[in-house]
Amino acid sequence: MPARNFLTLEGVSKQELKEVLDLARDHAAGSVVRPLANRTVCLAFFEASTRTAVSFELAARRAGADVISISEKGSAIQKGESLLDTVVTLDALGADAIVIRHPSVGAARLAARYARAAVVNAGDGRGQHPTQALLDLYALSNAWGGFDELYGRRVAVVGDILHSRVARSAIPAFCAAGMDVALVAPDTLLPSEAGAWGLPILDCVDEALGWGADVLYTLRLQKERMTGARIPSIAEYAWYYGIAEQHLKAGTLVMHPGPVNRGVEISGDAVLSGSSLILDQVGSGIAVRSAILTLATGSAQRAAA
Amino acid sequence: MKGASADAPNDLVIRGAHVLDPSSGLDGIGDVRLSAGRVVEIGEDLRGLRHLDADGLHLFPGFVDVHAHWRTPGREDEETIETGSAAAAAGGFARVVMMPNTDPVVDKPVIVSGLVRRVEQESRVRAYVSAALHEGLRGERLTEMRLLKEAGAFCVSDDGLGTRSAGVLRNGMLYARSAGLPVILHCEDYTLAIGVVHDGAAAALAGVPGSPGSAEDVATATALILATETGAKVHITHVSTALSAALVAFFKGRADVTADTTPHHLTLTDELIGKLEGLYRVNPPVRPDHDRLGVGEALTSGILDFVATDHAPHDASEKELPLEEAAPGFLGHETAFAALYTELVQSGELPLSRLIEVMACAPGRWVGGGTYGIFAGAPADLTLVDLSEEWTVQTDSLVSRSSNSPYLGRKLKGRVKGALVGGELVYDAIGARFEAA
Repeated sequence: MPARNFLTLEGVSKQELKEVLDLARDHAAGSVVRPLANRTVCLAFFEASTRTAVSFELAARRAGADVISISEKGSAIQKGESLLDTVVTLDALGADAIVIRHPSVGAARLAARYARAAVVNAGDGRGQHPTQALLDLYALSNAWGGFDELYGRRVAVVGDILHSRVARSAIPAFCAAGMDVALVAPDTLLPSEAGAWGLPILDCVDEALGWGADVLYTLRLQKERMTGARIPSIAEYAWYYGIAEQHLKAGTLVMHPGPVNRGVEISGDAVLSGSSLILDQVGSGIAVRSAILTLATGSAQRAAA
Repeated sequence: MKGASADAPNDLVIRGAHVLDPSSGLDGIGDVRLSAGRVVEIGEDLRGLRHLDADGLHLFPGFVDVHAHWRTPGREDEETIETGSAAAAAGGFARVVMMPNTDPVVDKPVIVSGLVRRVEQESRVRAYVSAALHEGLRGERLTEMRLLKEAGAFCVSDDGLGTRSAGVLRNGMLYARSAGLPVILHCEDYTLAIGVVHDGAAAALAGVPGSPGSAEDVATATALILATETGAKVHITHVSTALSAALVAFFKGRADVTADTTPHHLTLTDELIGKLEGLYRVNPPVRPDHDRLGVGEALTSGILDFVATDHAPHDASEKELPLEEAAPGFLGHETAFAALYTELVQSGELPLSRLIEVMACAPGRWVGGGTYGIFAGAPADLTLVDLSEEWTVQTDSLVSRSSNSPYLGRKLKGRVKGALVGGELVYDAIGARFEAA
């Protein structure tokens, strides 16, 4: 099987989602043994990341791959080596997959134009973070008893949608899974043409619950955006857009891609409540990313063998 | 200007072309005789020392581009006066205004006089130097505009960076007026222009940081109000929104104001953002279709006076980057006519005669002061075009030293076959084509 890039979930189909989640389930069940043996996975992180980098590294190692990890500190990236130079160098070293995190939109797609290796987007600016959205679907499928159970359920995406690559991957993924999606944010944290998604836009978490949300998917509010022009105060933001335990009474689930600002977009007790899937999301990362690396490097046949 | 000499006995008859010049009302097949750098006679069966057979071609007044970046001094790896003027000639341009946002900025008389001398030695076309409106284009101190004019500056501009302070802009207009210099303005409010593309649906979905149309509209309104108040001769360049065009309409008659838009804002939209390629970053950004149409209507109706290309060469290393990191700007000279002919004239949005008016006659009047066209006594600045030729824009078909054209790979109709400046053939795709050095 040829190398296959994972760059975006914009335009993804239900079938493609199901393929990844089914393989992730096999990985989690231990029925796939070292599909990436003798494969080389390079992690090229041009932007600080803890959980995504660790999750990818564990996923690659558990699947049997050799892993090269370069990050912005202590590598040529810090010396100003360009994205393209890094990519062609990793290519020349024999990488089978290059996992890229970069602060600019389109970086992974640009890398894919120049790389022979499969490129997996681990987050590009405000653009896409496809593996995050896939592991979210995986965690949600497990909570509800299967991927098909997502169909017709309602998810409210809450918070800083304007700056969120997670939202730009999760929204089309939720839609492709057949879920009803609503956006919940003040206008200053929405793109000026947020109507482009063709989804309802709601004014606060209470309104999302009135709409019938089965799951509240809340986004991290970046620290540099907490004060200043986009929101007047954390207190007001938390009041209208923060998720507290009282929102979770009716069995509504809550999700967050992390890292969490407790008391801002979500209260501490809501994070730890029985309705929270936050740790399930983190735990889903390894199986889902193993599956993606397996598909990306064309190793699914070996997995099946 | 290289090669041109007003005294040379260069009697030449251009034979059999379809002569189209809205300023003189010419629109039909005929011969044009040139002598000593000027048009001397228009008629039938004219004779001269030399003939140029232009059967099947159109002959227009030479195009005029009031907005070009030839990257000299400072970035001669991207363009030089030699290559920029060769690209201009290949696009049918006979006259070009060079913008001052070079390295160093054109803000001192010695830089202006140096450029004027280099233009005389290296340029294939008539090139005019725009000096900076303020020192270093930092928007703080005004430049020595009277001395800049003495040194040969044709106008002043804040292009590329704009003027952040309305107070500085107002004083700049007042001083430029007393120095007798027109002012070309790049209108952009930097408290609003915080993104790299137009802030619309395509930017929302792709996640590329956007700048709203108001970033241009607010600055355009400011400039127009100050132009009204100061009486300066102001030209607003690269108008890209329907609202800015409407603002220009409102201030016509109230202020001494003209305005242009670009071929790319007339033919491309922000759907290109979805490609996520640094090549497509430009300032002001390409807009949604309703702005493209609004600007096009304003050009057709005369609210916008002419077209300028904003020819902005960039090295590949500044364009093969994510949009957020890429340098803004497109090549413009070589595709301007063909892009507009293909997209606007062939679709019926713009009559061919209006296209010639906005590419030649109107900017020619702005630069030259008087009527610009094909008539006895006019300088022999002319362009020959084959309207039927289809061609694909490719890196190796471009004369410019750079290749950042947004039309790369696109098939266009209408190709410039020759350009004359002062009666000299400075671009020749009929016989031996001029190559850039």
